[in-house]
Amino acid sequence: MNTRLYTVIYGVLFVFATLQVAVEFAGLDYWTAFGVIMALSAVKALLVAAYFQHLRYEPRAITYVVTIGLVAALALTLAAAYSITGT
Amino acid sequence: MSDDTTPRETDGGHATADLPATGDHVHESSHEHGLPPMESIRRWFVTTNHKDVGILYVVTALFFLVFGGVLALLIRVQLLEPGGTILTDAAYNQAVSSHGLLMVFWFLSPFAFGFANYVVPLQIGAKDLAFPRLNALSYWLYLFSGVLFGISFFQGGTFSGGWTMYAPLNVPIYMPNIGATTAILALLMFTASVTVGSVNFLTTIHRMRAPGLTLRRMPLFTWTILLTVWMMLFAFAALLAALIILSSDRILGTVYFAATDAGGSVLWAHLFWFFGHPEVYIVFFPALGAMAEIFQTFTGRRIVGRKWFIAAMVLVALQSFLVWMHHMFLTSINLPVKTLFMATTIGISLPFDLMVFALIYTTIKGRIRFKTPFLFAFGALALFILGGITGVFLGAVVLDFEFRGTYWVVAHFHYVMVGGVTGLVGAIYYWYPKMTGRMYDEFLGKVHFGMYFVGFNLVYFPMFLAWETPRRVFDYPAVFQPWHQLATAGAFLLGASFLVMFYNFYVSLVSGEEAAGDPWRYVTTAEWAVPSPPPLENYPGRPSYDGGSLQFLEDMGPRPSGIAAADGSGETRSDGGVAAVDGALTGESHEESHASIWPFGISVAGFLVLLGLSGLPSGATLYVTLTVAGFGLGLYTLVGMARESQTFHGPSGPFGESWPFARVENTKLGMWFFLASDVVLFGAFIGAYVFIRVAFGWSAWEIVPHDPIPGLMNTYILLTSSFAVVLAMVAAQKGSRNGLVVSLLVTLLLGVGFLGNKGIEWYELYHEGQWLSTSVETSTYFLTTGLHAAHVIVGLVIVCYMLVRAWGGAYLDDDRPVEYFGLYWHFVDIVWLFLFPLFYIL
Repeated sequence: MNTRLYTVIYGVLFVFATLQVAVEFAGLDYWTAFGVIMALSAVKALLVAAYFQHLRYEPRAITYVVTIGLVAALALTLAAAYSITGT
Repeated sequence: MSDDTTPRETDGGHATADLPATGDHVHESSHEHGLPPMESIRRWFVTTNHKDVGILYVVTALFFLVFGGVLALLIRVQLLEPGGTILTDAAYNQAVSSHGLLMVFWFLSPFAFGFANYVVPLQIGAKDLAFPRLNALSYWLYLFSGVLFGISFFQGGTFSGGWTMYAPLNVPIYMPNIGATTAILALLMFTASVTVGSVNFLTTIHRMRAPGLTLRRMPLFTWTILLTVWMMLFAFAALLAALIILSSDRILGTVYFAATDAGGSVLWAHLFWFFGHPEVYIVFFPALGAMAEIFQTFTGRRIVGRKWFIAAMVLVALQSFLVWMHHMFLTSINLPVKTLFMATTIGISLPFDLMVFALIYTTIKGRIRFKTPFLFAFGALALFILGGITGVFLGAVVLDFEFRGTYWVVAHFHYVMVGGVTGLVGAIYYWYPKMTGRMYDEFLGKVHFGMYFVGFNLVYFPMFLAWETPRRVFDYPAVFQPWHQLATAGAFLLGASFLVMFYNFYVSLVSGEEAAGDPWRYVTTAEWAVPSPPPLENYPGRPSYDGGSLQFLEDMGPRPSGIAAADGSGETRSDGGVAAVDGALTGESHEESHASIWPFGISVAGFLVLLGLSGLPSGATLYVTLTVAGFGLGLYTLVGMARESQTFHGPSGPFGESWPFARVENTKLGMWFFLASDVVLFGAFIGAYVFIRVAFGWSAWEIVPHDPIPGLMNTYILLTSSFAVVLAMVAAQKGSRNGLVVSLLVTLLLGVGFLGNKGIEWYELYHEGQWLSTSVETSTYFLTTGLHAAHVIVGLVIVCYMLVRAWGGAYLDDDRPVEYFGLYWHFVDIVWLFLFPLFYIL
């Protein structure tokens, strides 16, 4: 794998982190800002996982293993948070 | 050895002929593998062999059965009359709580994993587990966690709030004794043992099956263990999160569960039951697998609907994560979510119906031989049916209003859980001749079963009739007294039945009839194709199922023809090709190692640290000393184990079937399984944060750091350190020692910088009066980012070790350690990418 690709990814990550704070100061509506900032985090995480952890070049099954963990954590978070709404 | 090329019918094929035993006892000399002989005490401290570890597990678990059983008898004596007095109030609460914890955690699962350790590698045709030293580590962590639990009784009393450890009863205000903290830390240590074990079994079963042993043809016991460890990997990570938070509430003073304003007790229930419901199947599945094997052997036929049986189990494993709120029907969660979870709960009973009918139909189609293992397995089925049916009552929201907190629940889950135990008792009779090379006494076995089955129903069935007795309370309406007296008599009968078993096993071990490789005549799985007990490395040759049945191949050459790759990618490969990948790790010509003292040492260190932490808030010198000594020993033993890696050889390829991870090396796969569980650990922490914030009022919540800029700086630092690790890997690949050393050094400095930056931030907050126990906002902030910082520290310790080795020229011809460390480090980076916005910006 070439170092240039890694360097480009690193640059993108750096810029996106900066953007997240910029969004915070841009004065957007809270939930819009929330969506944009979390989306940026998700993209950054995907880039790190796909290239730095080279999941892109591994058998897809490994990605599924991690995804199952992620889905389990999200299920817990969302269902638990939902369970105490509207009471 | 007998003729090694005799085809042997195996599970996955049709068992039409009896499996011939492979020959006489062969007690291979262990000395050349650095392992002392069986009679030596030293052997049992250093062994990493899966069969030894299996025996250690079984024996230790039986000790905890006795421990928990004596507590149960104390409970039953107390209940002979309403408001009994043999125990004080506090002692009764401790007996009830520790009985539950010991039986569920320290007896049931480890008992099953004793068999898993012994049998699974034999069934799949592996010489050992993928990581033998980690397997020994699992055992020692388990043993010392049990010792820690035992000590908790002597520190002002152990935990007394029930095995579910509900909040807010579990926080120091209500339960201030040090022993309660120790019990929680003991469970935390047990969780570590389970996680290490899950990673090991997942890697082993997925990667190391003999050629031709596809998942579809895999024996049922191994199937249940595979599904069990999949559930364990994720469920126990959630429990670990819950226990870390609870320990922090008790030791550091955070206020997660003390929170009176924002859902503390419901949060505990969510975290605990997200683990706790899968746990029901985690303890039951291995019993189910053993039952399936025993049914097949003693009915003389393959299980009916085998494919559907497996599919039903897979379905249950998935569904088990979607039913946890049925334990919370009487909490303040909303009605729609209760209704939803009622539906999922009814849904999970359906696959079980299929399994039950498959087992029943197998007995109808086959010819039963009523040997002791079958009696227990069949009894387990009967008990499980009753336990299952009475559970359906509890799955209905409306009925739960009546039944919750009564002996209906106690009776139901004992029928299920101890139903599972019944299956496992069948398993110990079934595999006893394999593990010891001796036959138990059949008559005494049947006596045991008779006493056990009568005693079981005598103790638990009256609980259904006296169901209005309040759970965990030793006072009850006098009208139920006859039922409770009957139950107490049953409990003693049940307990006494085990004395018969212990006597039987002890006498048989000394003077029992010698058992052949296959004492049962009709068997379908590979552990019976080798002598009893099997030689150190299991097989007389290389086991293969390529011909449709088990064969032992002499030569180590490639398989005769290309086999379609098991991962479905369509490419063909031969074992020779796999050997090129796997063999490169450790070389082909070495012998496997079977001894290491480090797993024992690391566990002692962990034990000391946790014992020290339990009393740390008291500031006593003893506890501080224990903690410091434990950390010191921990560092020493971890470095010792890491250094030993260069000379310790685990099983290396070529392996046969590895679907769906054919192209991933064992260590890398193990690392990924571990990271997946870490995803759930952090996910549960973030989930707890989101939950509390929702309960608190999302927008009323105040972000703790005043300014996102220090967080942004740390994001930059961590991203850069990740990049440095990537450069280190590239340098290692290019063979550049200087590049490697410099990159690792940069990683180290950046990591230290990250911690320094965080330290300054925390220091300032502390001086503003913002600390762990200030508010629920500060608790979540400090603990979650603190857990992340702890991950960074662990990473930096590893970097230091690698730096020293890299300086000496390591990793240049094999960069994989750098790569695998990178996987961990990048994961820590990813976590921060979410913590930063959640705790600094939003």
